[in-house]
Amino acid sequence: MEAVLRHLTNILELLAVSQTDRVSEWDHHTTLRAFKWAEYCEQLHSRFQSNLTVRSALESGLNDTNQRLQETLPSYSPVVFSELAQCQHMLLVHLLRNPSADNSVIRMLFTEAQESQFDQNSLITCKSAFNLLCRTLDRTNVSHAGLQAEAVVRGKLLGKLLNSVLSPSGNNEYARTLLDCILHDSAGKLENLYDIVAAALLSTNDETNSFTQHFILAWLRDRDGCFSKLCRSLSPGLCTVLSRQSSEFKQAYWAVLKQWASCLEYEVLESLWVPTSDEPVTFNMLTDRFKDLLNSGPPLKEETETELKTLRREDGDFNVKGINIPSAEGQLRIGESVPGDVLALLGVCLSGFGSCSFTLCLSPSPVFL
Amino acid sequence: MEAVSETDVQFWMAKAVNWGEATSCSAVLDTSRHLISLRSFLQQVLQGLQQMSSTSEAMKTFPFVGQFLGRLCWNPCVIADERSQRLLLRCLSCLYSAEPLNAVERKANMWIKNMLCHLVSDKEGSVAHATVKHAGLTPKRYHSEALQKVVALMTEEVIKSCDGLPNTSARCSNGSIHTMSAACVALATCPQMSPLIGALLKHSMLCGSSCLNPEFIKEVSEALISKRLVLEDEVVVNLWCYSPTCLEGAAVSLLESVLSDCETMAQSLDKHVIDSLLPRASAHHCHIFLTINEIYRNVLTEIDENLAVRALIQVFTACFLQSLNGQEPQDRLPLRAFFPHVMPSLLTPLLTAPSEVPREAWLDHLSWIRSLLQSVTENEEAGEDVRAYQAVFEAWFLLVQCGYWVDTAAELLVLAEPENAEPLLWLLTFFHHPTNRGHQRSQQTAVAREAWTHLRMLFLTRPPPPRHLSTVKELLSSSLSTNLVLHLFSNFAVFSHGPVSIITEITDKVLTEADVKHRALWILASIRCRLNSAATRNDRVHSRLSTLQDTLLQT
Repeated sequence: MEAVLRHLTNILELLAVSQTDRVSEWDHHTTLRAFKWAEYCEQLHSRFQSNLTVRSALESGLNDTNQRLQETLPSYSPVVFSELAQCQHMLLVHLLRNPSADNSVIRMLFTEAQESQFDQNSLITCKSAFNLLCRTLDRTNVSHAGLQAEAVVRGKLLGKLLNSVLSPSGNNEYARTLLDCILHDSAGKLENLYDIVAAALLSTNDETNSFTQHFILAWLRDRDGCFSKLCRSLSPGLCTVLSRQSSEFKQAYWAVLKQWASCLEYEVLESLWVPTSDEPVTFNMLTDRFKDLLNSGPPLKEETETELKTLRREDGDFNVKGINIPSAEGQLRIGESVPGDVLALLGVCLSGFGSCSFTLCLSPSPVFL
Repeated sequence: MEAVSETDVQFWMAKAVNWGEATSCSAVLDTSRHLISLRSFLQQVLQGLQQMSSTSEAMKTFPFVGQFLGRLCWNPCVIADERSQRLLLRCLSCLYSAEPLNAVERKANMWIKNMLCHLVSDKEGSVAHATVKHAGLTPKRYHSEALQKVVALMTEEVIKSCDGLPNTSARCSNGSIHTMSAACVALATCPQMSPLIGALLKHSMLCGSSCLNPEFIKEVSEALISKRLVLEDEVVVNLWCYSPTCLEGAAVSLLESVLSDCETMAQSLDKHVIDSLLPRASAHHCHIFLTINEIYRNVLTEIDENLAVRALIQVFTACFLQSLNGQEPQDRLPLRAFFPHVMPSLLTPLLTAPSEVPREAWLDHLSWIRSLLQSVTENEEAGEDVRAYQAVFEAWFLLVQCGYWVDTAAELLVLAEPENAEPLLWLLTFFHHPTNRGHQRSQQTAVAREAWTHLRMLFLTRPPPPRHLSTVKELLSSSLSTNLVLHLFSNFAVFSHGPVSIITEITDKVLTEADVKHRALWILASIRCRLNSAATRNDRVHSRLSTLQDTLLQT
């Protein structure tokens, strides 16, 4: 065990050096040895990834080494356990990107025989084929709940990964770390990540994977504002599909919608609902989402109606067209038409935020107080 | 000499710019249409670059090359094609300088390294990169699984679109099928693609309309022939029905593989032919049988005395008939449909295999065949009618196809009494010399009888008399009768009853030339196939066959 920890430290140092100009001291032989170490590291990962005790020990070893290396090399980026599965690839990319690296890696890539461990042809083929086919599938107007093919596939793979990580019990922390790392490393376009997470939720929709689905939702809710951002990023239609599929998602989604509604305030002079906080929530956005939920058919339609009716009852049970706002000055009802088609009763209850609640409903005659 | 012409450069550069990153449907279609010719252009570019002594020289001679290669590397349709990918990478490797001497070379090196990074990994900070990074797999495995999943999605769509009735609003319209098949052109040799390729081909069969990209068909056919793609049997047969060119390619490929490897074929010609799927496909689709026959028939008439082609035709027909007999009687087409040009009376006697006729009846059966054939030849000799000549040719070709009867005649001749030998010798002579130019038939029959007499003496007397040895050798060396004598010789060696050792003894003395030995192996190949299909296995005969084969294979 001591030996393994030492080896891991060596490998991390190797990876760190490969990104610095110290790599100019390497010759061809050193480079080959480095790849051998990286290969060994990959074996370590596959051997210990499901063994909780050993893995935790290795992870803490990694943490220590990461810290130490970060102090000495400011540009160092820490390596987590899950990345060890790709050690050779990491080393390869470091050397390709490092101008101080010698020609060894190029020699290996260009002159090694086919099917050698350095042969990148099948990786390049699979990667570009995947790219090409995803685009082709997207063009054939086939819809997977509005998601693009690439997101669907990556989501399935993510679901599969989480399934295998979560099947031995006690691995929740590790799974959370994985998702945290993915979130952290997806610096820019989080919309793409949310699509992938949605696809992962969709793909884990059977009994064997319900635990994974539950886990993902819990993770989303634990991350501050993550679930809300996810819901905003996904289309109304997709959120409806997810709500149909999972009652846990449905409840959480309703909660988010309520929370968004609470950010709206009625601007009397303009006769408009305007946002009061930084949250980019608009009235139309809310109504679109509710429309979609109510259009989805049983049982979601009825459940949403019930939920809204309950909220409206809590509010005084007014049945008038327009917006019903009980406020400090008393009840104000203002006529407001909902854009689009006539729907069943829509009621949204806001709680908490400034004790301002409004009920939105449709009926023939506007009544003014 | 210029490696690449200026017009070509301009053409391909314009194409590369036009295609961009192949994000549009038309770009993918156009790329797939030009993939084959692009490969040969890249080959020319590579050869040009290989002759350069330095990167600087290369950039001066081929100023377009950096931009051109770069653009192609960003086109997934080109990169996904195995062969183009290898050519591109080899070009890049030519442009890499181990010891860069100036800024141009240093810049080129950096550019090449960046390009490689782009090819093997996703952009850092992208969601794609993050999901791959923490997947707990090597990128190769991740992308392989991702590819499998997207193929499964597409396959599902294609299959669903076949479920509806034709002409109803299929979810997957013909345009989508065409687009998908265009995307698959570059990927025909990728093993993960087989389910999708199979589904697309099945779709074309079920829905009848030809909406598959023609380059797709070409690439799939080639990949199948070179064994770089494996598909279900049914799908392959679908492909042959869909595209006559593919069928011809498969038939020619079988012929070439048979001709190129005599030693393996002598061992297992029937297995090789069955593995090609052609006999089975022929039994289910009459037009496939007719097409293949047409091809082999033409080859036979061009290469006159080729025993290998005859062996192939004989074994192919035997396997085909076996397949046919395996079908339900109600599904079976009448034999007439498969043999439209030949005299109908010939069909029954010849198409019944020797294994289906009791051994005692063989002589009578062969006499029957002989009398039918003789009447055809006498017809021809009677008049100058071209049609009569045609009839002889067709009858002869049917005999070639049913060569197992000729082999049977040769086997019977080993033990036959002189009074029974005449029809058998006639058949053998006709088989090897169907035409009667200059009224040679009587002369050839005489040669056959002479050879037979000497061979009897040779194999039935111990020790083999030298006189007969030399006579047989002489007959073999006379080009008029080599194959006939060889045919008889091989059968005597295999079916006679003397000790096994004399096979080697006699063969070593009589068959000395490499060419003759080679031909004998083909005769053995067809004997072996006939024995393989017999009801019972005669170990004695098989061991004699193996001994003769080993003797012939010794150089």
